[in-house]
Amino acid sequence: MAHALAGGGLLIDVGAVALRVQSDAPALAAQLQAAYANVPFAASEGWADIHVQINRATGLRRLFRPQVTLTCDGQQPFAPFHADSPLPLFEWGCNWMIGQRLNDLLLLHAGAVERDGLALLLPAVPGSGKSTLTAALSTRGWRLLSDEFGAYDPGRGVFRAILKPVALKNESIEVIGRFAPNATFGPEFPKTRKGTVAHMAAEPDAVARRHETARPGAVVLPKWQAGSPTRWEPLAEDSLFAALAFNAFNYSVLGAVGFRAVVHLVRQCPAWQLVYSDLDDALAAIDAAWSEVRERHEVEAA
Amino acid sequence: MTDTSWQPPRPLAWLQALRQPELVMEWSLEEWERVVRLSRRLRLLARLAECLEADNLIERVPEQARRHLLAEQRLSRWRTGTLVWALERVATVLRNGAYPIVLLKGAAYVGQDLTIAAGRLPSDVDILVPKAHLEDALARLKQDGWHEPDMDEHDRRYYDEWSHEVPPMTHRLHRVELDLHHNILPPVAAKRVDVAMLLQQLQPSKWDSWKVLAPVDQVLHSATHLFHDSEARDRIRDLVDLDGLFRHFGTDPDFWARLPERARALGLGEPLALAAHYTQQWFGTPIPDHVADRISSGGPGPWRRAWLLPMLDRILMPTEPDANPPLSQGVAATIFLIRYHWGRMPLRLLVPHLWHKLRAGGKNASIDAAGPEKA
Repeated sequence: MAHALAGGGLLIDVGAVALRVQSDAPALAAQLQAAYANVPFAASEGWADIHVQINRATGLRRLFRPQVTLTCDGQQPFAPFHADSPLPLFEWGCNWMIGQRLNDLLLLHAGAVERDGLALLLPAVPGSGKSTLTAALSTRGWRLLSDEFGAYDPGRGVFRAILKPVALKNESIEVIGRFAPNATFGPEFPKTRKGTVAHMAAEPDAVARRHETARPGAVVLPKWQAGSPTRWEPLAEDSLFAALAFNAFNYSVLGAVGFRAVVHLVRQCPAWQLVYSDLDDALAAIDAAWSEVRERHEVEAA
Repeated sequence: MTDTSWQPPRPLAWLQALRQPELVMEWSLEEWERVVRLSRRLRLLARLAECLEADNLIERVPEQARRHLLAEQRLSRWRTGTLVWALERVATVLRNGAYPIVLLKGAAYVGQDLTIAAGRLPSDVDILVPKAHLEDALARLKQDGWHEPDMDEHDRRYYDEWSHEVPPMTHRLHRVELDLHHNILPPVAAKRVDVAMLLQQLQPSKWDSWKVLAPVDQVLHSATHLFHDSEARDRIRDLVDLDGLFRHFGTDPDFWARLPERARALGLGEPLALAAHYTQQWFGTPIPDHVADRISSGGPGPWRRAWLLPMLDRILMPTEPDANPPLSQGVAATIFLIRYHWGRMPLRLLVPHLWHKLRAGGKNASIDAAGPEKA
């Protein structure tokens, strides 16, 4: 694997996107292996949508402050990271590139999981517990699609997986570590610009099924509040519209296509606001509502 | 005219698809991957998408590449929409009939519905007003919410005294930056462009409020912009524009009759000769022989060509997506940058300017923060 990284590159197929990464940074191979534990890596042959090189920075600076840089198609759009942290640079850079480029999809800023062929979306602003809740669901019978992108294909009317590892920050790392002791984690990176970050690998089943799509199912707007009892309240359609559209990566770029897609999602998906502090309790609330979601979609399908 | 045996340089062969879209049918998946990467960096991916769509070929492109064409086409159409919206608003603010307001560069191509207007990725809008009315235009724009960036004393003086435009302005409601010009080259530049000559020949655009430069002047401005800018790397898009302008305006014989003479009168013989050289060499642009001769004789002499052309060959030829730019390109680009500053400012201004830039350097960070668009 280190050989492929240093040579023609490693192809990582995460579902809706194929990434190709080349690197001369010695730390990256092991970090990728841990964070993408169940994803089959391929040699460089085959189509890739995004191509990145993570290389050690050259110049005098490397002697006293070694860094890694990200190059994409011959350009370096970001400032370098510390040489210990090639994986966070790779993850952050690829997410940025996906958000900028994949305008064939409507990219909602949301965690996304699947059950019964239906997608459950968890849109939220960063820090409100979206990734934590997505990670928790993905270890309890929900298939992870993405912790960052609700990737909706407006032509086919389905969600697609962008199955990168779940990026957990600060206290969330320990919370999920306790909640799911069997989960696989990559190394912890302290002192990133978002604090400490660790990446949780997707479950083998989610990896195996990363090309399976999911129909729109339901939306839950999570909000983590210390010490709060679990509150579960229906969300009005206008609030849902705003939560989806105005929190997306490329809603306005898609123009009329984006508008129609969000209107469709609002009409298809029952939605709730979930305030929580206890993960088990929050998951129980979602599970309890799910039979209603499933019935509603079965009635519509029939 | 171009002889029929003309062939593009091999690394640029894919660009022929912008004129003959059916050529893409012969591309392997590997070639598609290369072209998607290269054309995105060169800001030509959406242009390619529009060309393919115009010929109903986009559905026949392999699925892996097609999604990228569609994605970039959406980005381009949205950005062009934001440009048009800003122009409507600015026209309302400036419209008083007292002086002409002029679209430059990409905005002008959009305002004339040129073929090269499709598939652009505008992030700023360039407009020109007569210098006598610059204060008025600036005041009206500021009143409407456009504002200049914060800058230090040195940068302000640079713009006030040495530049041909005011600092790029931004607006809370608009995504594009507004570059308000009063000339197409700085007033202290070695080549002084008499803007009055440009203003005498203005043409209507498709919008009542907006004028555009005469066709010959549009070509000269585009060439000047490319060959007198600080950075000429990854600027193939500008040559594609020039090729498109030559082909579009060249259907009028009067255009060719006037072009060499106009370049001479404006003191822009060199950028025109370089533009003609590279479009003919790399795109097979049809320029009548007697016109090409006159353009060439108005350009750099043999000694200047002997060092300038090899240098520009290196700078303008894009590097492959995975390749590191060769050292020679960096060296050539540095020389070009020196030539650029040399041509723009007398030494007594240039030395203090570069000293200031050197000290102020390092403050500039690169792109920050991913995350959702601001609604």
